[in-house]
Amino acid sequence: MTRPRPPPILRRSVLRLAASLLLPAGAPVRAQDTALASAVKAAYIPKFVPFVAWPGEALYDPAGAVSICVVGADPFGDLLDRVIAGQTIAGHPIVVHRLRTVSRTSDCQILFAGGSADQPVADILAAVRGTPVLTMTDDAHDPQSRGIINFIISGNRVRFEIDQDAAAANGLSVSSKLLSLATRVLGRG
Amino acid sequence: MDQTDGRQSAFSRLTPVIALTAALALLVAGVAMAWFLDRTYREQKIDEVSVQAAILATTVTAALSFADHQAGQEYVNALAVNPEVQVAAIYDAGGKPFVAFLRQPRDAIPDDPPRQPARFDGDGLTVTAPIVQGGATLGTVYLRTFTEPVVRRLERYGVIGLLVVMASLLVAVLGVAQAAQARANRELARQGEELAVANAALRAQIEQREKVEEALRQSQKMEAIGQLAGGIAHDFNNLLQVILGNLERLRGRTGDTERIADPRNLRLIESATRGADRAAALTKRLLAFSRRQTLAPTTVDVNRLVAGLSDLMLRTLGAAIKVETVLQGGVWQVSADENQLESALLNLAVNARDAMPNGGKLVIATSNVVLPESGANGQEEIAPGDYAQIAITDTGTGMTKDVLAKAFDPFFTTKDIGHGTGLGLSQVYGFVKQSGGHVRIISEPGQGTSVRLFLPRLHATAAVEPAATAGPLAMPLGSRHETILVVEDEDDVRMATGETLRELGYDVIEAPDGHVGLRRLEEMPGICLLFTDVGLPGGMNGVQLAEAARRRRPDLPVLFTTGYARDAFTSTPPLAGTADVLGKPFDHAALARRLREVLDGRKRETAAST
Repeated sequence: MTRPRPPPILRRSVLRLAASLLLPAGAPVRAQDTALASAVKAAYIPKFVPFVAWPGEALYDPAGAVSICVVGADPFGDLLDRVIAGQTIAGHPIVVHRLRTVSRTSDCQILFAGGSADQPVADILAAVRGTPVLTMTDDAHDPQSRGIINFIISGNRVRFEIDQDAAAANGLSVSSKLLSLATRVLGRG
Repeated sequence: MDQTDGRQSAFSRLTPVIALTAALALLVAGVAMAWFLDRTYREQKIDEVSVQAAILATTVTAALSFADHQAGQEYVNALAVNPEVQVAAIYDAGGKPFVAFLRQPRDAIPDDPPRQPARFDGDGLTVTAPIVQGGATLGTVYLRTFTEPVVRRLERYGVIGLLVVMASLLVAVLGVAQAAQARANRELARQGEELAVANAALRAQIEQREKVEEALRQSQKMEAIGQLAGGIAHDFNNLLQVILGNLERLRGRTGDTERIADPRNLRLIESATRGADRAAALTKRLLAFSRRQTLAPTTVDVNRLVAGLSDLMLRTLGAAIKVETVLQGGVWQVSADENQLESALLNLAVNARDAMPNGGKLVIATSNVVLPESGANGQEEIAPGDYAQIAITDTGTGMTKDVLAKAFDPFFTTKDIGHGTGLGLSQVYGFVKQSGGHVRIISEPGQGTSVRLFLPRLHATAAVEPAATAGPLAMPLGSRHETILVVEDEDDVRMATGETLRELGYDVIEAPDGHVGLRRLEEMPGICLLFTDVGLPGGMNGVQLAEAARRRRPDLPVLFTTGYARDAFTSTPPLAGTADVLGKPFDHAALARRLREVLDGRKRETAAST
């Protein structure tokens, strides 16, 4: 899904706002403000890491970093880069890769499936199914194109759904704390 | 107090100190225990609240991470069920408040989370806990809980404190009680000692009393023996009067017949008379022993009496004691009973002997003394005037002041029981006082004793002593116109006396008792002398008869005779000092002499009065 880019001035103000909201995140997010929603989502992405367990050393790529791959359409721009700047996960650096397509060997730990004509979201998800990759999608309704984490807007706030079966398929387990925050938990009855 | 008592008393003195120390130690232990309990309580409280904070920190991570205020608020609000929680708050990693639970509207949270993990302030406990998820620190939990107020905690410890104080008090009270008991024990011991002393004093008193009782028994025994002896002597004297009177009459008739003039008969009479005389001397000694001698004051030449006694003393006192007499020439004559004076001097000599168990010297000295006005010499009882002094001085053990003070007391004696009656010196004192004189004892322990008798000088012209000049054979005779009334209850004695008087030349009228005698006196105005026994039957004794007779014939001369003379007799007022007494048994010469004395004295007095 492709979204129009916001004008630069607005983008700067959104960035400032997002930065100010990064951790406290107190103010409700207006759903219509997609730029703001994108900023919140960008801020959320690395925060899932502590609540998800990767098998073995699968949380880190061969270089020892945590790779966040944005595949296809990128709704974040440089927001994500700003969010991870200076952040580490248990001492490991976080890097962002932007990919057109993805395969089983792409070596991503976290994958945001933006999707494109070359590789729709469903294909992206299918490509990494079975590998330890935490997949995320934005407002997907089709089960085939829904990642483990699926961002939605609920009650004017950025919330998320969690597909436990998908997580299990990729060998990941999600903390119940995170499940309790989810608007909907799919799979495992 | 022996060593054990000393240890005990030291222990009992230490007891309050020990008790106080124990009480203090208990108090300190109580305070320490309270402090320890309080610390434990705080630690426990911190643990408890920290656990709650940690739980909150663990559960709130997702809500905090994804800024889910609703979920976060639910988490902190869940703590509301714990009434101790006052404030619960979550701070994000940047130190800004995320959500908070405030129990009271006035409660507040600090702008920044405190750095201390736990802190007590006032009645609250503040605990912070980091919120960590997957190795990342997400924020801080701030928890403030009410703790039990210090006052209530102190109240709780107060119970313990009360117990401790009560225990301390108990210990202290026990200690004080122990000390008090020890004091009471000491007091008891002291009282016991006092009791022992009192008991010893009581024993001494009992012993003293036993001694006195023994002395009293001794004196009562002597008194009883004396009465017995006196009674026997009285009867003996009456018998001897008959025997001697008849023997004398028998000898007086030596010229009457040839048979009696036989020299052999005369020898028999002489022998019988000697025997009777010795019997009379024996009764005299008996009377002396029973102290029932006739108290007949006569004119006494002191020097002569002392000289006569010194021989007797030499024999009585033994060879170990040297007797010396120092007689001043011309010592005044005195009026006293010779027998009593001799007895007194003998008593003093015996006392002196007893004071000189190892021998010594006894000096009997006579002298004239003129005592100054009363009071000049500090002796209030002594009347001033001229006195003949007899001083008996020994070189014996002397007397202490205490003994000296009691020397004249009846029954007081320093001699062993059975050896003295305790009446010797009191007899001396009584006799001398009765005679108008004084006794003075000068003595010091180890310096010997000097007893001085002061007898008043006799100023009367009675210095003429008929007895000193009249020989036993000079028998003044009576004349027929002199009639004598003889009153005597014993027939033999009366008849013998009557015969004797007739032989002496008097007319004699006899009467067996006072009533008859009084009648005779009224019938016969010619009676010129009443010669009566003192002891008479029929309710009127000789003294009463004499009084009755004197009422009828005030100028009637009276001569008493008696086997013994009681003190009552001579001290009876109408006759005291003036009575003429002839002791039984008397011989013819003595009777003749006394009769003439009385008759002639009466005549002189009558002549003087007319």
